[in-house]
Amino acid sequence: MESEANERRSSFLGFVAHEVRNPLSTALWTAELLARMSVSERGGPRGEKLSAMCLRSLVRVRQLVEDHFLCERLDVAGIPVRLEPFSLREVIGGVVDRRPPDAVPVEIEVDDSLAVEADRALLERALDSLLAAAAADGGPVRLSAVVEDNDVRISFRGPKVLQAPLDDPRKGSPSDTRGRALALPVARRVAQAIGGTLVASGDGYVLTLARGPAYTPPLEPPAHS
Amino acid sequence: MMSPLVLVVDDDPDILDAICDILESEGYRVSRARHGVEALQRVESERPAIILLDLMMPVMDGVTFAQHLHERPQDRSIPIVVISAEGNPQKAAAVGAQGYLAKPFDIDALLAQVAGMTGQEGATASPS
Repeated sequence: MESEANERRSSFLGFVAHEVRNPLSTALWTAELLARMSVSERGGPRGEKLSAMCLRSLVRVRQLVEDHFLCERLDVAGIPVRLEPFSLREVIGGVVDRRPPDAVPVEIEVDDSLAVEADRALLERALDSLLAAAAADGGPVRLSAVVEDNDVRISFRGPKVLQAPLDDPRKGSPSDTRGRALALPVARRVAQAIGGTLVASGDGYVLTLARGPAYTPPLEPPAHS
Repeated sequence: MMSPLVLVVDDDPDILDAICDILESEGYRVSRARHGVEALQRVESERPAIILLDLMMPVMDGVTFAQHLHERPQDRSIPIVVISAEGNPQKAAAVGAQGYLAKPFDIDALLAQVAGMTGQEGATASPS
């Protein structure tokens, strides 16, 4: 049993190493090519192309490193989880607004008054990860939420979502050239940490969380005359 | 005299772009493929002097590509250098590759291997 778990972990780490080495290679090569160029060449079209590739690759590396650190910390319960009620619509809006300008569009169908009880920072990471997973094969992504019993079911659906297994990817699993190969491992761990569940369903993924007390927007401060 | 043609096979578009840029800046001609099936087509139509081959790719991986290549008498002598992020040099030997570079490798190590296998040692490849 223990050796099986060790083998799974080793295989997962092998996958992470592979995912990091590709963009790290591009970042190092393009930085070195830029360093070998003259100042005037660096300002030309080749210099601009290499700079853009270097930046894009470093963004991929950053995403993978951040996601891997979060997975590790959640695995050893190294993050304090603070559950509090808040507006789901407001959190989703913030996550969507912070995505890069070239991210696929998101259609949101969530009632403004719907509240969930969760750790806000962790939920933001899970929502961002699930949007990335649902957009793996293009967009737009449809994000909707419904209440069932005392839970909120948040669905992420894309036009061509090829459902990936929710188990951790293993050495040899398909690569993600956007740097989002750890999106589902992050989302699954966050769901567990905040007392929710994550399942692959139909053409996407469903995150289920505890419903919070109905959300009331803060009152506008009285206008001063 | 035409400079040697290098076929670069990798599913990561940025890796392809970067390696092709490195080789072109040294005067090599380059061709690119995103997976093994595309690479086999390129080999048939373009007859590269050397193949830089990633192992983990969709559609057809590098191991299967090398097996197909070695079944073709007219192509089996084309040298292969495995470029892999897996960190497993034994796999390169298993596919009958003549060289192995673990990503992220040094630019000069890449150029040395390509020059050595295309007879360009000590000289920049001549522009076409």
